[in-house]
Amino acid sequence: MRLRLPSFLILVAVVWTHPSAAAAQAPATSAIPRTSDGKPDLSGIWQAMNTAAWDLQDHAAQKGVPGGPGVVEGNEIPYKPEALEQKKKNYEQRATLDPEAKCYLPGVPRITYMPHPFQIIQKQNDLTILYEYVHTVRYIFANGTPHPKGPIEWWLGDSRGRWEGDTLVVDVVHFNDQTWFDRAGNFHSDALHVVERYSLVDPDHINYTVTIEDPKVFTRPWNMNMVLYRHKEKNFQLYEYECYGFDFEKLYPYPELGGAR
Amino acid sequence: MRATHLIVAIGIGAALLSATATVRGQEERGAANRAASSRPWPPQRLADGQPDVQGVWAAVNAGSTSLTNPISGGEDFDRRVTGENIRRPSRIIDPPDGLLPYQPWAAAKQKQQESDYEHPTKPEHIDTQHRCLLSGIPRLYTIVPSYRIIQTPGSVIFVWDEYHAYRVVPLDGRPHVAPDVKLWMGDARGHWEGNTLIVDTTNMRGARLTYIGDFYSQNAHVVERMTFVDADTMTYEATVDDPTVFTRPWTMRIGQKRRPDEETWESACWEGNPNPDVWLKK
Repeated sequence: MRLRLPSFLILVAVVWTHPSAAAAQAPATSAIPRTSDGKPDLSGIWQAMNTAAWDLQDHAAQKGVPGGPGVVEGNEIPYKPEALEQKKKNYEQRATLDPEAKCYLPGVPRITYMPHPFQIIQKQNDLTILYEYVHTVRYIFANGTPHPKGPIEWWLGDSRGRWEGDTLVVDVVHFNDQTWFDRAGNFHSDALHVVERYSLVDPDHINYTVTIEDPKVFTRPWNMNMVLYRHKEKNFQLYEYECYGFDFEKLYPYPELGGAR
Repeated sequence: MRATHLIVAIGIGAALLSATATVRGQEERGAANRAASSRPWPPQRLADGQPDVQGVWAAVNAGSTSLTNPISGGEDFDRRVTGENIRRPSRIIDPPDGLLPYQPWAAAKQKQQESDYEHPTKPEHIDTQHRCLLSGIPRLYTIVPSYRIIQTPGSVIFVWDEYHAYRVVPLDGRPHVAPDVKLWMGDARGHWEGNTLIVDTTNMRGARLTYIGDFYSQNAHVVERMTFVDADTMTYEATVDDPTVFTRPWTMRIGQKRRPDEETWESACWEGNPNPDVWLKK
C-alpha cells in the first residue's frame, strides 16, 4: 500500500527542495532578448523537437515514424462523427492523399512543426518567417491592420499579429481546405481559424500554443502545446528542401555536366 | 506558329496564375502609398552600421527572355506576331561585345536549347521557371516580380514576391558550406563597401539564365555588386566565372528601382498549377 501524504506536505516539500524555482522565473523572463521597442525578440532559427509532423496525438513508432507523446491538450481531437470517418479514411490512404506527398505548402500550424528549421525575422510592424521546407515564406503583419476582406483561400492563410504582454498572438484565417495537420490524416475545412501564441520562456525556448477552431469539422475548439528550440550550432543556417524539385533533378539543370548529387 | 503561341500562352498563363493574389493586394492597398518613397539619402545607418536599403525593389526593363537582347515579354509576343526583330541593349557589359563568351560546345548547346524552347518535345525543354523551380541567381534579379530587402544585424535577406524564393546573405565572414553541397539558390556571403553590397555565391547547381537557353554549370562562381545610388535606385551587376561553360568570366548589369512598400501576399506556384507537359508537341 502506498504511503499517502497530506497534499500541503507535498507542496511544502516541493518548495523546500526547489528553493530557487520561484526566484528563477523572474530573472529568466527579464533575460529574454528584446527589441529596441521592448518587445520580446523572436528573431533566430528555430525548430520543433517532437513528432507532431507524423501524428498530433500520442502514438507508438512505426517503420519510418518516430513514436512520441502528442501535442494536443487532453490528446483528444473533437471531430464531428462524419469528420472522424473522413479522418480514418485519410489515415488509411495517407501515402497518396496527404498534401505533403504532393509537396504543397503545408498550411499553418503544420509548417511550424515540420522536421525542418525555420528563421524568424522580427520587425516592429511585421514578422517574416522563412521556412527551409520548399522555401516557404510567411508574413505576419503586426501593425494593427485587420485581415483583408474574404473570401480568400490561401494555403498559409492570412496572419495578423498583436502583442499581449510578452506573448505574440497571431490570428490566422482565409485558409483553403487542401492542407492537413499531420501525416496521420488530421484535417480541417476552409472555415479553419487558427490562433497561435508565441512566448519566449528564456532566450532559447518558445512556448508555442495553438488554438484550432473549425465548426465544420470539430465540435469545439482545441489546443496544441509545444516548445520551439533555438538552433545554437555555430554558423547554423537554413539549407534547402525543394520537395517537388527532387523529381526534376534528372531533367535539370545539366546532369551531363555533373549536376547536383 | 503554333508552337510560338503555345510558348506565349505558357508564359502568360504562368504569370497570371502566380500573380493573382499579388495584384489583388496591390489593388486594395496600393492607392494610399503609390507615391515614390521619400526615404533619406544618404541612407540611415542600422545599428550594425549597414546602410538601410530595406523595402520592395524590382528590375527595370525586366524579363528573362534574353541577356544579350533583353526584350520584354510583351515585345517577345510582338516579335512573334509581326516577325519584326526588336533590339534592346545587351545586359552584358563585359566582354565589350555584349555577348556571352561560350565555349564552342556550350554555344551549340545554347542554340539547341533555344530551338527546344521554341519547339518543346521533351519535359526538359520546358523552362525551369514554368515548373515553379527556383531560378537561382543572377536570374531572379532579372524577372518581373518584385522582391523585398530585409536587413537584420549581420545579414541581408531577399524575399521574392513569387516562386517562394528567398535568400539569406550573412555578413559575418563565415565560411561557405561544404563544396559538395549544391543549392538551388547557391550559398551567399556578403559584405558592404560603402553603399555597395558585394555578395560572393558558391555551391551552385547549374541553372538556366534565360528562356532562350543560356546557362551555367554547377561550377559557376558568382560575385554580385549591388550599388545603391540613391534612395530609390540600385545598380545590380553580377560577374559569372564558370570555366566549364565559358572562355572567360563575364559581367551583366541591370537597373533596379524601389517600389511602393505594400503588403506581400501569398504566392503559390506549384500548388494546383497545370502540368506544363501538356504543352509539349507530340
